Amino acid sequence: MLNNKKINIFLLIIALGLFIFLPRFLSGYWVRVITTIFMYAVIAQGMNLMSGYMGYLPFGNAMFFGIGAYVTAIAMSKGLPFLLAVPLAAITAILFSIILGLPVLRLRGHYFAIATIGMSGAILSVVQNATEVTGGAMGTTLPIIDKAPGVVYYYFYLAMLALMVITTLSLYFIIKSKLGFGIRSIKANEDAANSMGINTTYHKVIAWAVSALFTSIAGALYAYWMSFIGPDEVFDVMIAVNTIVIMLIGGAGSILGPIIGAFIVELFAEVAWSAFLEYHLAVLGIIIIVIVIFIPKGMVGSISDFTKKRKLRTGKKVTV
Amino acid sequence: MGLQMLVNAILLGGLYALMGIGFSLQWGISGIINLSYGAMVMLGSYISLEFFNLFHIDPFISMIMSGAILFVLGAIIYRGLLQPFLKGGIVFTLILTFAVRLIMENIILKAWSADYRTIRLSYAGSNFQFVDAYVPLIKFLSFIVAGILIYLTYLFMMKTKTGKGIQAVALDKEGAMAVGINVEKMYMINFALGTALAGITGSLWASIYSFSPHLIGIIVGKVFIIAILGGLGNIWGAAAGGLLLGFAEVAGASFLGSQWQEAIGMVIMVGVLLFRPHGLMGKKFFG
Amino acid sequence: MKDNIILKIESLSKYFGALKAVDDVSFEVKKGEIVGLIGPNGAGKTTVTNLVNGTYSKTTGKVFFKGSDVSDLKPYQIARMGLTRTYQVVKPLVGMTVEENVLVGSLFGRKNRDNDMKNAIKRAKEIIKLVGLKKKKDSLVSDITLPDLKKMEFARVLAMEPEVVFLDEVMAGLNPTEVEEASNLVKRVRKEKELSIVYIEHIMKAVMGISDRIVVLHHGKKIVEGTPQKVINDQAVIEAYLGKRYAKGIKEVSNEG
Repeated sequence: MLNNKKINIFLLIIALGLFIFLPRFLSGYWVRVITTIFMYAVIAQGMNLMSGYMGYLPFGNAMFFGIGAYVTAIAMSKGLPFLLAVPLAAITAILFSIILGLPVLRLRGHYFAIATIGMSGAILSVVQNATEVTGGAMGTTLPIIDKAPGVVYYYFYLAMLALMVITTLSLYFIIKSKLGFGIRSIKANEDAANSMGINTTYHKVIAWAVSALFTSIAGALYAYWMSFIGPDEVFDVMIAVNTIVIMLIGGAGSILGPIIGAFIVELFAEVAWSAFLEYHLAVLGIIIIVIVIFIPKGMVGSISDFTKKRKLRTGKKVTV
Repeated sequence: MGLQMLVNAILLGGLYALMGIGFSLQWGISGIINLSYGAMVMLGSYISLEFFNLFHIDPFISMIMSGAILFVLGAIIYRGLLQPFLKGGIVFTLILTFAVRLIMENIILKAWSADYRTIRLSYAGSNFQFVDAYVPLIKFLSFIVAGILIYLTYLFMMKTKTGKGIQAVALDKEGAMAVGINVEKMYMINFALGTALAGITGSLWASIYSFSPHLIGIIVGKVFIIAILGGLGNIWGAAAGGLLLGFAEVAGASFLGSQWQEAIGMVIMVGVLLFRPHGLMGKKFFG
Repeated sequence: MKDNIILKIESLSKYFGALKAVDDVSFEVKKGEIVGLIGPNGAGKTTVTNLVNGTYSKTTGKVFFKGSDVSDLKPYQIARMGLTRTYQVVKPLVGMTVEENVLVGSLFGRKNRDNDMKNAIKRAKEIIKLVGLKKKKDSLVSDITLPDLKKMEFARVLAMEPEVVFLDEVMAGLNPTEVEEASNLVKRVRKEKELSIVYIEHIMKAVMGISDRIVVLHHGKKIVEGTPQKVINDQAVIEAYLGKRYAKGIKEVSNEG
């Protein structure tokens, strides 16, 4: 970003302040849209850590979103308050990521991505069929909050915003830390990383657990927000596709990329879908292709390249 | 397992085998996980549908057209869209093939709607008896055709110059380059062969079952399993994988109820990935 | 095990099916020694390195490091004990700068020392200065020359504070001036850091001038071991590897050095 760290922090705080007060000027519909953007940013950050920074693409990562949603729903149906159900959901997701991760993270590249799709599909099937516990294919409900809709939307808006900020900050500190260097080394050259004393399995499992943590909390919030969830909805492969597109547009391997990407993708979706209803699939497909061809490094990557080139041309010293 | 169930499993498995080989070749040799594969199969079905409705041509004949059209389509997609971005890694190829799927799915939806379609053949109801099991004629014919095509694919890979070129590239890319083989052309032909097989499978499918764009995602799920079971790029492995999936689905449906069908497949796939990532047939090689 | 033997390789073998890449190789490395490991292409030198550092599983044989049996440890565990290696074809951490690469070595190299960020950065900066890469420390590894990449990989390994380093063909791709510079650097560092080095090389001049002892591999087997003088004069080595004319030239070099 801009070179002065203090200016960056100042700008981000201003942006945060704006976001907090924005809903006063927007209709309920747009508040919900932006809440969804925050949610996608969180899911994308989870993928960003795994794929953008570590080089392992968990195509089926939405499974943690679904797990977060369902554990919350089931826990609350047994009488647990929301604030206890969420940690339970998160812990469940983390446990899944560790238990499934230990064998699967040994698999390189393609295999890992596919294995996660398989797992996601298997979990979806189980949820669809374990009707007594999960409500099966028909879905399940959560307690409705007894307050005015506008107030409820605002609460969830703030909650998602907080989650997005916390997730992004966590990612920032992880990447700067020793753990972050270990994670990045895996993407850079896994063999060399091993020979340098990095326990790559440990790093991979931790990264996936962190990814599962944030994704599952997003799912938990989503479930309580919607009051009703179905398996096809929360385990939908399109969540993963959307997330990947967000990462591509925003720029993977950067801290703010997923947030920028989420805004661009969701806002475009809002504008375009009503215009292209019958062709929205094809339009999405064409957009993906266009992005890959013209901005493969995403917004953050392309802007960073652009500023570097400009500095070289104008003779200024290049600072990274 | 009763004889009828066995017969059902084998007939289904044969079709799955043909279906899985194309995907397995694309992934194992061309290195592309083709998420549009399901749409390719369905396109084959719809092509045969049109040939039947417009010209009364039997799908067992129009499958040649499906194969040819899908071959060309595959070559164009590989050359124009995938090859330039191979260096982007798996994220790019996954998302690009997914984009192709979206576009194809939309085209199919607009042209033929989401309704389930069928091709009503005059001999659709006939079957013959094998001991005490009924063998539907069309499924049997499809099985035979699938078997012949699988064998022809094997012969192509083993006996023709192009096929051997593809094999060489699969085994040792640098070595193949060193002896003057046009590696990219081999990848492209292999990929196009995969889409051709998908199209032909679609035609056969259309003669037996109803079809709609809904099946696109489901088919991709199945071919994943078949490819992994058999080992990527392995023709006979994918054939075995297809048969195995056929068995698993038929047996699963009758013992556990049809809802668990998909879960079984997924669980098997993940299991194989964890314990024998090279597939049940061992290391990747031809036949 | 004798006190000053830091690394002991015992009957190491690696068979890839019928191919015996390494066949019953044994030798020792004393503390502070530079042992040259030479042999023609395919002799098994890099395979031995991969076996010792845990990258390959062993068909037979054992490895003892500082008295402990490390034969079944994973590469990261062996690295943390102080047994390290560089790569014949350099493996830089792509996407990171020179300083970050060395920092990774500094952060993860050794257990039981100050591995927090601040100390690790300090250590990395010192090593970078030692090898002479200070000016390039903020360059991306994709932007620097091959000799600098080799220096960086050396620095990365040094930042791990190793006791034994396997330098795998560190001179490959360097011109004679660079080779000279690199040799001097290795000698200087060995002295300062009290390292033991297994020096895998092709370039005769570099190996002969720097090694205390030499082990010669051919077709996966050890054919000779001894001082540079002894090795040059050994018939089996001359015929199998050096060739008569070449051996004569070596004799002259070693008489100088």
